[in-house]
Amino acid sequence: MNVFARSARAAIRPALARSYATEAPVADKLRLTFVLPHKALYKSTDVQQVNLAATSGDMGILANHVPTIEQLNPGIVEVIESGDVTKKFFVSGGFAIINPDSTLNINAVEAAALDEISPENVQTALAEAQKIAEGAGSDAEKAAAKVEVEVYEAIQSALSK
Amino acid sequence: NGVQARNMATLKEIQLRLKSVSNIEKITKSMKMIASTKVNKAQRGMEAARAFGAASNSLYQNAETKAAEDGKTLFVATSSDRGLCGGIHSSVSKATRRLLEAKPESEVVVLGDKPKAQLLRFARDNIVITFNQIGKDLPTFDEACSIADKVQAEGVEFDTAEIVYNEFKSVIAYEANTISVFSQEAFKASPNFAAYEIEDDVLANLQEFTFANSIYWALVEGHASEMCAKRAAMENATSNAGDMITKLTMTYNRGRQAVITNELIDIITGASAL
Repeated sequence: MNVFARSARAAIRPALARSYATEAPVADKLRLTFVLPHKALYKSTDVQQVNLAATSGDMGILANHVPTIEQLNPGIVEVIESGDVTKKFFVSGGFAIINPDSTLNINAVEAAALDEISPENVQTALAEAQKIAEGAGSDAEKAAAKVEVEVYEAIQSALSK
Repeated sequence: NGVQARNMATLKEIQLRLKSVSNIEKITKSMKMIASTKVNKAQRGMEAARAFGAASNSLYQNAETKAAEDGKTLFVATSSDRGLCGGIHSSVSKATRRLLEAKPESEVVVLGDKPKAQLLRFARDNIVITFNQIGKDLPTFDEACSIADKVQAEGVEFDTAEIVYNEFKSVIAYEANTISVFSQEAFKASPNFAAYEIEDDVLANLQEFTFANSIYWALVEGHASEMCAKRAAMENATSNAGDMITKLTMTYNRGRQAVITNELIDIITGASAL
């Protein structure tokens, strides 16, 4: 039901979206700014498509997408720069904002390229977090550990895809 | 003989003073070196934080969000605990004071002990929360998150938050400026809000996230401004100490020569009396 509504809205919006643009980006290109607190991964770079894992579902963003504000789940952000070049990052969480002028801003708290993550470390960390989550600690500690378990499990499923 | 004794005592005093001033010169010189190395790291962190904060706030620019005329404002004065950095803390305190004069019933959150001491003098009733342990090192996103968390946990509400910080203009210049953060209601009332699709529960999280992002940006850029100001302050202190040493050495030598001359006079008059 939601999917139909979304695609219907996407069909109507583009005309409105274009009237806000002051400087139209290169046709069929999405201008991506993907930043972390300590590093900027992409700064106003033109890309073809970005796939995100949002709380409302997985979505693919192309140029001239409906302006949206999405919260990101711990998961993969895939940046398809052009036909052959694709980069995958695991993000711990954050927000993705698509503006009317076809610019996409992704603010993530922490992100790492998938090939920089070691599966063994993830496995050890996951086991530890699970122990704390089920152990006898304060509620706050257990809640924090549950969040860690969620993130590590997401990393594992991301690595295995 | 009494004159001689007095001169000797004065010479000792000058020697002591010379020693302490040259110690101070060494200390300020090393503090300048430390601040110089921190400047580079702080500047790099600032570039990343600027990109991060600007991306986060571009949403409000695109939505053309504006502060409500009669809305409640929260001022967040961002500086640090450390001294010996020139006019950094006064810059933020003065800017906050000016803003408070326009909106006297606003609440104030203070980050850092130094601005707290200054703000207590004229804004004692407006201050709701103060934080310390700020500025020891390059600020982390974690710190900004815990500050934003605490502000919310204490039930501080606002329509607009103005984060007052020192904007880094150049290695030798900084200026107080503000970053605006808007509440959910203010954002929903923006002219362009309708253009965006957003789920309701995401809106609350977005507001908390952008608040933390803006605090992080202000902390990091303020830190960079402070390191540059500290470097400049220590450089001035070192050159002043150097000047004092030159002057004191002159005085010491003149004193020493006066003592010798007096002794010679004594000897010669004594000899000629014989």
